[in-house]
Amino acid sequence: MSGHEADHPMSATPIILADGVTKRFGTNQVLTRVTLPVMERDVVCIVGPSGSGKTTLLRCFALLELPSEGRILMEGTPISTAEPDRAIKTAARAVRSEIGMVFQHFNLWPHMSVLENLIEAPLRVKKMPRDQAIAMAEKLLAKVDLADKRDAYPARLSGGQQQRVAIARALAMSPKVLLFDEATSALDPELRREVLIVMRQLALEGMTMLVVTHEMGFARHVGTRTVFMDRGEIVEEAPGAAFFDAPKTERAKRFLQQFEEE
Amino acid sequence: MFKYQFRWDTVWGSFDFLMSGLQMTLIVSAATLVLAMIGGLIIALLDMSRFRALRWIGVSIGEVVRNTPILVQLLWVYYVLPIVFGIRIEALVALIIGLALYQAAFISEVYRSGIQSVPKGHVEAAQVLGLSPLQSFRRIVLPQAIKMTLPPLASNFVQLIKFSSLGAVISVSEITRRGMELSATNFRPLETFTFIAVVYFLICWPLAMGIRFWERRLQNR
Ligand SMILES: Nc1ncnc2c1ncn2[C@@H]1O[C@H](COP(=O)(O)OP(=O)(O)OP(=O)(O)O)[C@@H](O)[C@H]1O
Ligand SMILES: [Mg+2]
Repeated sequence: MSGHEADHPMSATPIILADGVTKRFGTNQVLTRVTLPVMERDVVCIVGPSGSGKTTLLRCFALLELPSEGRILMEGTPISTAEPDRAIKTAARAVRSEIGMVFQHFNLWPHMSVLENLIEAPLRVKKMPRDQAIAMAEKLLAKVDLADKRDAYPARLSGGQQQRVAIARALAMSPKVLLFDEATSALDPELRREVLIVMRQLALEGMTMLVVTHEMGFARHVGTRTVFMDRGEIVEEAPGAAFFDAPKTERAKRFLQQFEEE
Repeated sequence: MFKYQFRWDTVWGSFDFLMSGLQMTLIVSAATLVLAMIGGLIIALLDMSRFRALRWIGVSIGEVVRNTPILVQLLWVYYVLPIVFGIRIEALVALIIGLALYQAAFISEVYRSGIQSVPKGHVEAAQVLGLSPLQSFRRIVLPQAIKMTLPPLASNFVQLIKFSSLGAVISVSEITRRGMELSATNFRPLETFTFIAVVYFLICWPLAMGIRFWERRLQNR
């Protein structure tokens, strides 16, 4: 229906793709045959009740968990399976830093200044010259409106500021896709906005994003696609606002009702 | 009923004699700490090894050391090692080795909990950004873990100052031994050992208080 589908016809290769991913922790099956492609410039928002497997799915994409069955592919190349062989491991190492992730609890490194947090990976992983890394970090800090916090330590920053630093840190590796796991859930309501503004700005600039969120406003207005998960399955999937205006399944309707009551 | 004529001059008269013992106490404690830190690292590495046999060795050393009295260990090192290896060990060397072995078993736990105190998320952030496991250990885990291990290591130093008094049993001339020697000649154990207890307290107490303050500051960060 909308313009974005025309941008990438069905034949295009997704930036990242979960291909029939099942995940079990012991006997607890958390994901069941999840297939989810994320196309270039997509902003896919994953919503769903607590415990439905959203974080686990994101962690599979981020290569922090191995799927029990199925595969993760990046631009058509398998980078993760239940028992990765040498080729897959090599492919994963090559593209690992192209998949960025923003965590619920920021996970900034407290013993490093904001600037050091940003340049660490470019210096060590990309072997970028130091002055170049610093110049880039300063540009990214300006972008998230924190140029003046360059030499501050994370503990001195508000939660909203810390999360914006974490976003800048992820951007410093120029990822092809950014994963967000409830990036605003740990924040006081008044601090959420500043983070959401940065996320929306990224989306407008064409960043490919996969966003687990409880912010229905963000999913409706910024997301290009909404994915509804329940009990480890993708129950419903719709472009942008369509999911909110006309949910098809009972489960989705019930889920959305909670937010109306709020 | 407690009519006792204090003769503190018997202690002051041997002040230098006792202080040279204190010097020995501090040297033994410092040398032992350094050795125990290295030993602790080895035990920790054995504990975390990928190989079962090595893990078993690490765990066994820890269990044996933690569940036998330190004095017995010391006597064992002093009297048994020479028999087994057919070499003579100086009492001082035996004291340092014995104490270091004992303390290493505890320090290995200090290292382990220091490493475990670093939140998993910090390592995952590094992993997602592409840092190798070694890079992330060196740059993210170690600097934070070291900060957490410094106060417990300082506490270990305080413990060693006290434990080194066991050297008296195998006649290492640290301050407690000097006190025993002095009281055998001046027949004034009350003054002598009171003085020595005060010396230990004046060194250990401020250190312990400082460490407690330091630990609280680390936790409140
Ligand atoms: N490492 C793990 N070991 C065992 N079980 C796990 C692990 N991680 C997640 N789970 C289980 O998997 C299920 C899904 O968890 P997950 O965190 O993916 O849900 P979620 O959709 O992100 O929920 P929330 O909205 O509360 O964040 C839960 O039942 C959880 O207990
Ligand atoms: Mg979650």
